[in-house]
Amino acid sequence: MRERIPSGFDPFVLPFLIGIGFVLLYCLLAAMRVLWQCPREDRRRFFLSLITPTTALRNLWDIFANCLIHVKLWKRNKLLGFMHSSIAFGWFMIILLGHLEVFLFVPHRLNLFYYPIFFNYFVAETDTSLRGAFLFFLMDFFLLLILIGIALAIIKRVRSRLFGMRRTTRLSFLDTVGLYSLWLIFPLRLLAESFTASISGGSFLVKPLNWLLEAVLGSQFLLNPANNLPTWWAYSIVLGIFMVVLPFTRYMHIPTEMMLIPMRNAGLRIRHARRGYALLEVYSCPGCGVCIDACPMSVKKANIKDCTVYLNRQIRRGNERRIEEISDKCLLCGKCTEVCQVGVEGPALRIFQRARRQYAVNPDYAAVNVAPPESAGKVLYFGGCMTALTPSIGRSMESVLGKLGIDYTWMDRDGGICCGRPMLQAGRFPQAAEMVRKNTELIKASGADTLLLSCPICYKMFRDHYKLPGIRVVHHTQYFEELRRSGVLKLSKSDLCYAYHDPCELGRGCGVYEEPRTLLGSAAYIVEAEKNRGESICCGGSLGSLSLGFQQREAMTRRALENLTVAGPDAIATACPLCRSTFARYSSIPVRDIAEVVDLSL
Amino acid sequence: MDFGFSLSPSSAIDLDKVDLSLYRRLEQTVPDIRSCIACGSCSATCMAADYSGMSVRKLILNLQRGADVKKMLSCCMLCGKCTMVCPRGINTRKLILDVCRYYSDNKL
Amino acid sequence: MKESVVIIGGGIAGLEAASQLLALGLSPVIVEKSDHLGGHVAEWYRLFPDLSPAQDLVTHLVSSTSGARIYLETEISRINALKDGYSATLNNGDVLFCKAVLVCTGFHLFDAAKKEEYGYGIYNSVITNRDLEHWFGGLEDARIPDNPRAVGFVHCVGSRDVKAGNTQCSKVCCMTAIKQAIEMKEKFPEAEVYCFYMDLRLFGKKYEDFYISAQRDYGIHFIRGRVSEVSEDIDGRLLVKAEDTLSGKPLKVRLDLLVLMAGMVCSPQTGRIASMVRAEVDDDGFLRSRDNIYSIVESGRKGIFFAGACTGTKTIPETVAEARAAALSAFRYIKEKA
Repeated sequence: MRERIPSGFDPFVLPFLIGIGFVLLYCLLAAMRVLWQCPREDRRRFFLSLITPTTALRNLWDIFANCLIHVKLWKRNKLLGFMHSSIAFGWFMIILLGHLEVFLFVPHRLNLFYYPIFFNYFVAETDTSLRGAFLFFLMDFFLLLILIGIALAIIKRVRSRLFGMRRTTRLSFLDTVGLYSLWLIFPLRLLAESFTASISGGSFLVKPLNWLLEAVLGSQFLLNPANNLPTWWAYSIVLGIFMVVLPFTRYMHIPTEMMLIPMRNAGLRIRHARRGYALLEVYSCPGCGVCIDACPMSVKKANIKDCTVYLNRQIRRGNERRIEEISDKCLLCGKCTEVCQVGVEGPALRIFQRARRQYAVNPDYAAVNVAPPESAGKVLYFGGCMTALTPSIGRSMESVLGKLGIDYTWMDRDGGICCGRPMLQAGRFPQAAEMVRKNTELIKASGADTLLLSCPICYKMFRDHYKLPGIRVVHHTQYFEELRRSGVLKLSKSDLCYAYHDPCELGRGCGVYEEPRTLLGSAAYIVEAEKNRGESICCGGSLGSLSLGFQQREAMTRRALENLTVAGPDAIATACPLCRSTFARYSSIPVRDIAEVVDLSL
Repeated sequence: MDFGFSLSPSSAIDLDKVDLSLYRRLEQTVPDIRSCIACGSCSATCMAADYSGMSVRKLILNLQRGADVKKMLSCCMLCGKCTMVCPRGINTRKLILDVCRYYSDNKL
Repeated sequence: MKESVVIIGGGIAGLEAASQLLALGLSPVIVEKSDHLGGHVAEWYRLFPDLSPAQDLVTHLVSSTSGARIYLETEISRINALKDGYSATLNNGDVLFCKAVLVCTGFHLFDAAKKEEYGYGIYNSVITNRDLEHWFGGLEDARIPDNPRAVGFVHCVGSRDVKAGNTQCSKVCCMTAIKQAIEMKEKFPEAEVYCFYMDLRLFGKKYEDFYISAQRDYGIHFIRGRVSEVSEDIDGRLLVKAEDTLSGKPLKVRLDLLVLMAGMVCSPQTGRIASMVRAEVDDDGFLRSRDNIYSIVESGRKGIFFAGACTGTKTIPETVAEARAAALSAFRYIKEKA
């Protein structure tokens, strides 16, 4: 082992040094800005979590699993997972092993940033020593892994379907620069190392390439600095370019996600669409485009640019007109968050974006006065606005409760106050809060101990945004399933075969997947939709969208129906009045709410 | 000048003098409002109708005739029932939000 | 041998066309998918504006087509274009050779259960115009109370409604509602009868007189507002909500019977036939005529003719007139080719 360059410096490291200096400074300032923008209590929470051992361990594990191994991508598609983890983990290992080499062979150079990166230029090590051979082998192994990953990435650009993706994002100019420089880094490293491999050593990858080059160009040619130095320059320049453009490309997700994970683990949530924690989510978006295929709106080509990946891009660019357009269009079905490997909360970002809007007219509900229902110690049934337009659900609820002899009061039979969720989703928080206040008073005054809901939109709202101590909030699928298990509700199984549609608010919104299925399964047969549970496709009727018109939604509903009926069911069952009436409009087979199915089998 | 009598203000709508600036603006953001057939489904199903006289039909008509719309909006809960029943598929919720947004007291 | 014309559909359009073709010396063949001739009219009791029995019209038409070959409960499975005509393969295996095809597939009555908020199939006392017509004709119907205090008619159910997938006016429902309202008032003079309408479209001969009579002689209430919600109160009476748009106030009324005026939508068979003969279909689902003024009965294709409600909503007089026009057009087409 000997150092080839006594000064330990060569000008070719400068592009790399400039790049890494820039990117580190940028990230430091950005992190400080995010922390500054967070409310004080959030900051406190975050710092506390960092010194809490369990959270700190969880952070490390999550960063390892998500940023390096990409566990969620593996679950989505093996090839896609392999591609990402080979590049991310391979690169990480090369950096780590580089430092190890410096630590082992030239510990006095540990203070030089660039030494681990360009180790093979500065240090000549024979691969005959045991630890040299082993480290060289590992270095070459991980370089090969990365190169395979890059090759897959190139194939993915052309044939994305192989990776389970129908559509990918269209890259911006800087993204393209970042992409090509990333692709070039590793082949150039391989080239540079193999030029100097006869001096610095190498393993199964670098050595044979070195022999090949020697055979073609001659060993004197390779040893001439005028010939081998440019390869190291090229490697350094490409690294430099990649790091300088990194903050302005989707690759910013690499450093951002490492901050997002601990902050999320600390329990921080979005409080403002464009500040603090929200920025971390926006910049953590790797722009992979998995959300494009997932988005129910993307059945129409015109809507592709309204998916969450493009929202993130526009927020980064500060294009206010597009941000507003994208925020208003979304159905808030939550599927993009479900499939997103970094967990960007598209719907929440949009709701908080909507909340920034100023209105000249602000409803106050001062005139709304509803007599409180009388329901002491009983079940209070809240049908919600949509149930008024789907009388079959209300009738079935009455019928089932009546047959079971359950003492109940229908709170909004003759009209009532909206639960407030549509207003909340429109971002008008003070108005929604006023409705919550009014309903809370009514429910508390009624003396009921259970609040029963047949609409998942209301259920989500009452569960998450109301404070009703001592009152159980329950969706009818859960309530009936509980009664069935306890033997009160006895169902006879019909021969009909249903496909069950998971309503967005009930499934992804509240995590209720099992109760509807077991309940339905004891009243009839079930077949699954092609995409189901967390990946079920929104019916298209969602109130979450503010700007989608009736005609624009038809294609989405038809696509969702197609997905539901792949297994050829006799009928469709769902547990939401809005999904029910939206599907019924275009479905060729009957669409029923679970309450109706239960009533038929009782 | 005092003529010894006064003219009572006319209650007739003078289309020549109606300020349509808000309506024109909404025609841009919610073009469907032109297709209202005044069937009244929206008003009949509205939960705020009893409290503030809310009616999307009247909202559109008042905008076209230069009458006030602010009061009726004070109880709208944005629940979406009017959107559900509209036979012309008008995006009434977008209309309501845009009226709330672009409304201004001195115009109209 | 006489030249033959295949008529698809044995409703009043098909029957009238067949009778005219027979008179013109051609040989019509009627292919009807149901088990009876006369289509929707055969299910009706009386016709506006003269309250004449529908059966008389159907009987007359059937008797005047006794010379035609008629297939009942038969459908067309394939139509092929030949050098000088068409061959139609039936689902019973028969093959018909003809010089021209006349499409008289008519319309489909909108499925009122699709307007769920009106509660058809959910509430006991909600029926459709067809159910009421059957009851007038003597069929039992438990949903119709013995002595209703109040009866309502909802116009435009499944018509002029994008949500129901049909933006067209069905033309006949306003008059049918008035006719049925009058008939109900005759049966139950004490009952209050309400018609909920969006616009009253009474354009034909004698229609306006009929409307005046409904107002003046029968005291039927006309309310300008579309029903948006129907619910049931504790006594089992229907609670109907609409806006009285003329007073600008929400309105509710309790009724013992609600009749939904289901509109005319294109029949699914029409689309199937259209693809067989490669005729064009309009975006409302009805067949596209060569033009909508002068050549309504002609398709864009040689030897393919249309008559009746397969090209759009029609009244009976319009359908009959079109059937005659189509028969004459087909006759001239065959003679000019020969």
